[in-house]
Amino acid sequence: MNVLGTLGSASLVTALATSIFAVAASVYGHKHGHGMLIRAGRRAIVVTALFSTCATAALVTALLTDDFSLAYVASVSSSDMAPYMKWAALYSSQAGSLLFWVWTMSLFMAMFVVLTVPRISWGAAHATASCGVLLAAFLAALVFLASPFELSSFDLNDGVGLNPLLVDRGMLVHPPALLTGLTSTSIPFVLGAAALLSGRIDGAWIRASRQWALLSWLILSVGNILGAWWAYTVLGWGGYWGWDPVENSALLPLFPLTAYLHSMMVQERRGMLKLWNVSLVLATFSLAVFGTFNVRSGLVASVHSFAQSDVGPYFLLLLALTLGASLVLLAWRSPRLRADHDFDSLLSRETGLILNNYVLITIALVVLGGTLFPVFSELLRGNRITVGPPFYNDVVGPLLIGLVWLIGVGTVLPWRRTSNVTLARRFRGPLVVLMCSVIVLAILGLRDPFAIMGVLGALFVFYITLREFILSARWSRRVTGRNWIGVIVELFTRDRRRYGGYLVHLGVALMAISIVGSNIYQIHERRTVAVGESFDVGRYTIEYVGLSERDGNSNGVESEVIASLDLRVNDQVVASLSPGQRFFRNFPDQPMAVVAVETRLLEDVYVFMQGWDDAGAVEFQAFINPLMLWLWIGASVYTAGGLIAFAPQNSMGTVRREVLTGDLVRGS
Amino acid sequence: MRVTLIAAMLFFMALVAFGLIAALYGRGAPEQDLEAQALQIEKQLLCPQCTNKRLDVCELQICKDMRALIRDRLAVGSSPDDIILFFSNRYGDSVRADLQASGFNLFLFAWVGCSLFLTAGVAGWMLLRLRRSAVPQPFDSLTGVDEQWLDSQIGKEVSE
Repeated sequence: MNVLGTLGSASLVTALATSIFAVAASVYGHKHGHGMLIRAGRRAIVVTALFSTCATAALVTALLTDDFSLAYVASVSSSDMAPYMKWAALYSSQAGSLLFWVWTMSLFMAMFVVLTVPRISWGAAHATASCGVLLAAFLAALVFLASPFELSSFDLNDGVGLNPLLVDRGMLVHPPALLTGLTSTSIPFVLGAAALLSGRIDGAWIRASRQWALLSWLILSVGNILGAWWAYTVLGWGGYWGWDPVENSALLPLFPLTAYLHSMMVQERRGMLKLWNVSLVLATFSLAVFGTFNVRSGLVASVHSFAQSDVGPYFLLLLALTLGASLVLLAWRSPRLRADHDFDSLLSRETGLILNNYVLITIALVVLGGTLFPVFSELLRGNRITVGPPFYNDVVGPLLIGLVWLIGVGTVLPWRRTSNVTLARRFRGPLVVLMCSVIVLAILGLRDPFAIMGVLGALFVFYITLREFILSARWSRRVTGRNWIGVIVELFTRDRRRYGGYLVHLGVALMAISIVGSNIYQIHERRTVAVGESFDVGRYTIEYVGLSERDGNSNGVESEVIASLDLRVNDQVVASLSPGQRFFRNFPDQPMAVVAVETRLLEDVYVFMQGWDDAGAVEFQAFINPLMLWLWIGASVYTAGGLIAFAPQNSMGTVRREVLTGDLVRGS
Repeated sequence: MRVTLIAAMLFFMALVAFGLIAALYGRGAPEQDLEAQALQIEKQLLCPQCTNKRLDVCELQICKDMRALIRDRLAVGSSPDDIILFFSNRYGDSVRADLQASGFNLFLFAWVGCSLFLTAGVAGWMLLRLRRSAVPQPFDSLTGVDEQWLDSQIGKEVSE
């Protein structure tokens, strides 16, 4: 008997049982007014999380102890892998990643039922039951269709090892962040469902969901950013986002979730957009389920997807049930989802936020269409086509530029209404800045219209956002007499949500400039050179010094061939680069590129080795990616802003201070 | 106020005009050498075996052979479109990185158009609907737990 396998399987079955108990206890307790049963249901969710943790621990132990009697361990691990890669192997394939999904979702739900559910008496039973249903649905897939605790058919002394694409330290952060972000979208979904089921569709569920939605958005954003970073540093094609179908699936939930974080403010302040907001949270989790279906079904071919398996049809059914249940609930409660107020003026922040939502949802629909179109093409015509980056760049690119502009416009517009004079005064400064910027950009040599619009939009956001900080800080200085740093810190302390949000906008503007620079103005050279020869790329000269081979020592690496390059500017060596190729013992036909990146303030020099001949001549691909560093800086600012906005604050104080400080400063 | 609005309108018209001129200017790209032309063609093709990997960055032998073939055909005077068509006929449309706006693919572009207009319609409907008189929702009386929470929040606010 395999102890770990038995322990893991038993834990999963028990977790499934407790999740079903949670549903039954909550439903029965609510129907018959038994508070004790409702509380028992909440505890059952916590117990489900405990048993999921137990199952995960069993699999991790099996990986770390090289228990190749388990088929999953034998398929993703090997004895020469470093311990941290064995941990990463947990979520590297179908069954393990599904277990990781269930584990993180159960942890979130356990925290939710402990921290939030006791405070939402109006929907405690509904929320607990919804948690139980979701957990049971995913646990059923684990128990019956894709168990990671199945025994190997043969006695194996060693495993196959990790797929070469996954042998990188990035595996420690990117998949966990992304999977955790996707599972965390279940909490706002559960709250939305509880609101619809209970009929309590006022601001109560919005208040309860705000922190959870923000947390989910933050983790999902970080997961996607880490994915871009990994693609850039590991996959070796010179870019960071390939519009891969599974990349798209991870990105899709972020659009309605971002839209929700903005439009919820309208419901909080004005009691409007109730139907829209609850639709957004339901759509977010539905897209997360779609994403997991995409990865696990073999529906789309991708470097990220798992092989076709039995869980595909099951997740399609799950997706259909999620969508169906959402639509039924919405239709049932739609008569009660009427706005409490109407619009005072079309020139208001409410309109700006609706337009922001419009663009985000349009982008989501376009990306969804592009992701699924190859599937439909193959189904209907028997001919699979590729929807690649050119389509997305041409269609989504302008929409993203429009979104950046809307960030600036929306920040300037006040709530409810304002006079034309005030509006003109608010836009006067930005218009002057934009006119000057156009002249500067023309002098700098920018000709591409998309580049110009993208950079102008980012500059617009910079100006507007920094102006908000300066005006608020200046007023605060006048009142308190503190220095600039003190008042700016106080801004973040006093109103984390607003100023954290502004910081996120600054991060977006930085990333926008970087994306424009690195996409439109990338320089690409490919050269075959012998030892001692050099070639030019941009203002740099790359000299090929020599080639060396070294043995691999762990993680299934058999050997590495590394080239030595000198990077020169005006004949001065400014850096050394070491691109190469890595060969794997169990995957001889799948060498991995070792990318060399020299990061500088205004550009990256990115080199990888394509191959070499018997004479020792090597083919290199070299890229100059302008402003690449600013993508990561912008991402850091974006993340910092999200963390600040997430930090809890007294919500009543926030509203009062927003009225006093923000509107007073603007003189409206 | 009127002056500001007129200035703003003129500025945006100038911006649009500038953008159009820049776009037209940008279309007349200077003639490239053979290697640069080949690289441009490679960027419009994908590896027939890998998933979504551009031909110019793929290290497989089949891609090396395809790149050599591109240079051979350019050298004898084939146009980029002919070369791309050649590979498309040989390996299928999945090797094209760029989606052709013709035939069945028009459904995807129609989807894009519908997305733009459908969501615009929804946004417009929301704006119009919200301009009519709203119906205030009946507010259920607070439960004991809600009352206590509210009191504690108000108490904190007062003490601050």
